Amino acid sequence: MERWIERQKNILDFTLSSLFRRKWKNAALALVYVFLVFLLASVIFFTHALKQEAGIILQNAPEMIVQRSIAGRQAPIPLSYIDKLKDITGVSAVKKRLWGYYYDPTAGANYTVMAPEDVQLDPRSIIIGEGVSRTRQVFKGSTMRFRAYDGKIIAFEVKSIMPSESELVSSDLVLMSEDGFRRLFDASGEYATDLTLQVKNPRELSVIASKVVHALPDTRPILRDELLRTYESVFDWRSGMALFLVSGAILAFLILAWDKASGMSHEEKREIGILKGIGWETSEVVLMKFWEGMVVSLSAFLAGIILAYIHVFFTSAAFFEPALKGWAVLYPRFKLTPFIDASQVATLLFLTVVPYTLATVIPSWRAATVDPDSVMRM
Amino acid sequence: MNRFKLVFLVTVVVAVHLAWAAETVPIKPSPTDKCPVCGMFVAKYPDFVAAILFNDGSYAVFDGTKDMLKYYFDMKKYDRAKNPSDIKSIQVTSYYNLNPIDGRTAFYVLGSDVYGPMGIELIPFANQAEAQEFMKDHKGKAIVTFGEITREMIEKMD
Repeated sequence: MERWIERQKNILDFTLSSLFRRKWKNAALALVYVFLVFLLASVIFFTHALKQEAGIILQNAPEMIVQRSIAGRQAPIPLSYIDKLKDITGVSAVKKRLWGYYYDPTAGANYTVMAPEDVQLDPRSIIIGEGVSRTRQVFKGSTMRFRAYDGKIIAFEVKSIMPSESELVSSDLVLMSEDGFRRLFDASGEYATDLTLQVKNPRELSVIASKVVHALPDTRPILRDELLRTYESVFDWRSGMALFLVSGAILAFLILAWDKASGMSHEEKREIGILKGIGWETSEVVLMKFWEGMVVSLSAFLAGIILAYIHVFFTSAAFFEPALKGWAVLYPRFKLTPFIDASQVATLLFLTVVPYTLATVIPSWRAATVDPDSVMRM
Repeated sequence: MNRFKLVFLVTVVVAVHLAWAAETVPIKPSPTDKCPVCGMFVAKYPDFVAAILFNDGSYAVFDGTKDMLKYYFDMKKYDRAKNPSDIKSIQVTSYYNLNPIDGRTAFYVLGSDVYGPMGIELIPFANQAEAQEFMKDHKGKAIVTFGEITREMIEKMD
């Protein structure tokens, strides 16, 4: 065993010095390689992290949301609908929700304003998300002014800044009391923005949805699974678009790598011939070429992955933010929670390192089986 | 390793405790509890859990009402040590709110389009109104009470 390791070490040592002899050529190749892995891994990390964020958002979402629509537009829903929905067998609770968007001209951004039922707030105080706090430079205890529907200015005191595991969810949130909400938007007390249904048995969701439509024909039930699917398809579509954009780079790299790895130069063939001439065996030549492929591709892969990780989770995917994040304008600075899917990294490893190594090994094996004398005479 | 042991011990203690408390406290199957009839892990299917509690504090959990009834009608086959007279109470999971309810007073819908982990099931409800509503929505064939269920009915379901 020790002998075997010694042998590998010696061959690796030789390989490294031989790589170093052609350093510019190999460095150029490795650079392109790193860049490609970096692009691919960035797309993968980014979309995966976004999907996870969406999952966190929807984890606490109600099983079903009922919205009312008039002439195809969402409209306030009468509170009298609550009792009708409660009567449906299998619905364990119905809650009203009050929410909307507020455009803040000073920040140039939209806030999501909500009046949550489970948070007790007095009419003059609000809780804000980190993004709002950052853009408006308001902190705990300071006052924030809003322009109400009739042009009057309403001042709210910031009671606290929301802590959250996912900043994407809470960044633009402004929570206020029901009174405050109704004063700001002139929302009548008989209406809510929409209603949420709690359904204990998920098997019953589709039956309940059809009963809702039957009982209240002007409403539209939205299931949590539908929301999740929409998010996923949006992110899949975006990552597909990004992959399409980098596909040109991938193709160029493939041609380059294939040419470099498979087509052996005259010089390399000569080198193999000499090695065989001085007593190397075919298996040792193949081993050397295997280490060569491994050294280039594995180090490039690792460097690419690390760069992609830094790019996505430390700089918030600065390079393709505009392409992938449609709502980026609203979030001046938000960091993604790092999520790494091991299987995706493994897939990328097998798609890059393995073919490259094989492409270096096979032609060298062909060259090594030829008689050394004829190779050196070429 | 010690942590696993601890978790295991706590689970056992909790299970025994729950079993002692019986009746009022619902049985929550531990991850290692298997259905004595089909051998499947019960904790994976919380929506269909059924349980029989015994006078001596032990219990048996099932991944569906059907398997519970198979056991109930043929106790000697599955557990030699137990007699029908040892049964303290029976629990089933109500379909709409997934709460544990008394199996002896529950209403069961037969022949519906809702299948449990073991296929065709008897779906339990706390009251008749819910059972009727379910029967209408899910093409049920009949509503029965616990006393009306016979061994033949269960055998025909497989």
